[in-house]
Amino acid sequence: MLDPTAGAIEAPVAQSIGRAGRRARGYWAESWERLYSDRIGFACGLLILLFGVLALAAPLLSAVVTHHDPVRQNLANTFALPGQFTFPLGSDELGRDTLTRLIYGARVSLLVAYLTVILALIIGGSVGMLAGYFGGWLDTVLMRVVDMVLSIPSIYLLILLTALAPRIGPVSLNPGNPYSLAVIIALVSWGSLARLVRADVLSVKERDFMLATRSLGASNWRLMSRHLLPNVLAVMVVAASLQVGAIIVTEAALDFIGLGITPPTASWGNMLSNSQVYFYHSLWLVILPGLAIFVTVLAMNVFGNTVRDAFDPRLREMR
Amino acid sequence: MLWKYALRRIIVALPVLLGVTVITYGLIYLTAGDLVPGLQLNPNLRPEDIARIKANLGLDQPFLVQYLNWLGVPWLLHQVGLWPGAVRTGLLQGDFGRSLLDGSPVMSHILERLPYTLELTSLAILVGVIVAIPMGVVGALRRGSPADHFLTSLSVVGVSIPNFWLALLLVLIFSVGAFQLGLPHLPSGGAASSVNGGDVLDRLAHLVLPTTVLAFGYLAVWSRYTRSSMLESLSQDYVRTARAKGMSERRVVYVHTLRNAVIPLVTLIGLELPTLVAGGAVVEIVFSWPGLGRLALERAVGHDYTTVMGLTLFTAVLVIAGNLLADVLYAVLDPRIRYT
Repeated sequence: MLDPTAGAIEAPVAQSIGRAGRRARGYWAESWERLYSDRIGFACGLLILLFGVLALAAPLLSAVVTHHDPVRQNLANTFALPGQFTFPLGSDELGRDTLTRLIYGARVSLLVAYLTVILALIIGGSVGMLAGYFGGWLDTVLMRVVDMVLSIPSIYLLILLTALAPRIGPVSLNPGNPYSLAVIIALVSWGSLARLVRADVLSVKERDFMLATRSLGASNWRLMSRHLLPNVLAVMVVAASLQVGAIIVTEAALDFIGLGITPPTASWGNMLSNSQVYFYHSLWLVILPGLAIFVTVLAMNVFGNTVRDAFDPRLREMR
Repeated sequence: MLWKYALRRIIVALPVLLGVTVITYGLIYLTAGDLVPGLQLNPNLRPEDIARIKANLGLDQPFLVQYLNWLGVPWLLHQVGLWPGAVRTGLLQGDFGRSLLDGSPVMSHILERLPYTLELTSLAILVGVIVAIPMGVVGALRRGSPADHFLTSLSVVGVSIPNFWLALLLVLIFSVGAFQLGLPHLPSGGAASSVNGGDVLDRLAHLVLPTTVLAFGYLAVWSRYTRSSMLESLSQDYVRTARAKGMSERRVVYVHTLRNAVIPLVTLIGLELPTLVAGGAVVEIVFSWPGLGRLALERAVGHDYTTVMGLTLFTAVLVIAGNLLADVLYAVLDPRIRYT
């Protein structure tokens, strides 16, 4: 018996090579419609987009709107209270405008998060699919590697890597730089993705439609790209969408404990870390950077859920 | 069959362990030039002195020799008479080496801090599981109800809130705020007061805030997964079949659905076992909890790489055991999965 859901979704591959039938376009159009019709989720998507635009436009905003530089000190205006015209969200202990620094912080957070997720998805997704689909010695070898990566608790590996990275000569990864930080976090966080994908592949590949398609003479490549990938895509999308938020938190945590982006470069994590000293009299310095992380991650998670509901055919009727 | 599978997993876990030692030692080796920090900066040391110190420590040897020495292979060979001369013990003998900062055994530092970490995280995981599974089941069964919306929102908030920020906020409210208002307040850091000696009540008071922060994170993730995998199970054909043949709803839910729904959760909790020793690291740092995570940060900042490496390895060993357990449980719970 063919799986009823198998025909309903077509691989994105099908669309990109322009051989998409009516059904394939139908699925994506339908999914986008569902995405659009979920008001809250869609609003979260727009919010993420807005943050992205703000982050990209940070230099422009700092020059034209806030009139502050993110790192230049202004010792005449330290601890300005929020709500003033010149410092809408207050200033910190060196008189730097909190709003400008938050916008620049978004640049770092979003850059690191997206870069990391893309890298982790590429590594984890391919490893998980290859291991789950082919099984045998390939599965054994790949999963042992995943085991190795996963068995080192990520926070320790991150602490070790960020502490050692600047000292490893030829590679020269400096965690103070967003690109290097993304590579370091990705190297640590692809393992669980690989496992989740593999687990899903293991159960999908045993389904009858896979056997049926194989018996029609489909090649391994075709089976994986046209039939397996669409079925595990939901897991990958959900995992990745959850991962973006988690990675923003991880990155902020590393900055917070002083191993990631270092001052004076503004990042939400190191702003928060800095604020702990001024706990008693400058609440906004504690609340605002954390709120920025929280709202961003919240929007990403809600949007991720919406994406899942819109694109996962098996949960399609559930809401 | 299952036992054979479990045994095979134990056997294949050994190379993983070995791989982890290679990875961690390799990382340290790549920075070996700086392994004795400050040595080159000491004006009282001539280059030949430095060379002698490095030779004494075996740092002038090639990677493989250093690695095997560190593992303690020569010691083993010495015991059976295949290696001349006295040699130091190594990893295989439980010797994690010595701290670069104070020269004391790394293992003694770890054992000193481990109980604190286990105390905090096991309590948090327990609270998390106990609250999460009912939350997820209720959410799935009453899909779309106000209760479901509330629980879902709560878990989304829990997933999204950075735990170190939540920790700061709780400290702000329950320690600083309550103190300033003259109300009874909770301690904001440490594992026990030094003033009144740390009796049971005092220790529990110190546990409240960190445990709350950690458990909130766990239950947010786990209740969400329980709910979504319950929903997925409920939409499967075998559930429809079970209902069609007149099975009671209670039996359908608890026997047919929940059993299948917890399978992904088992993997997830298995994957979370690392957090039993590591998950609280950042929270430990915020609350000055004297556990392993805080030790790792202190030592990393102090360039005490041998201790950080020892910690990393030690936690990895515990985690490998946890993963093994999860894999075997997975096979017990879902007979559809075939291992080839």
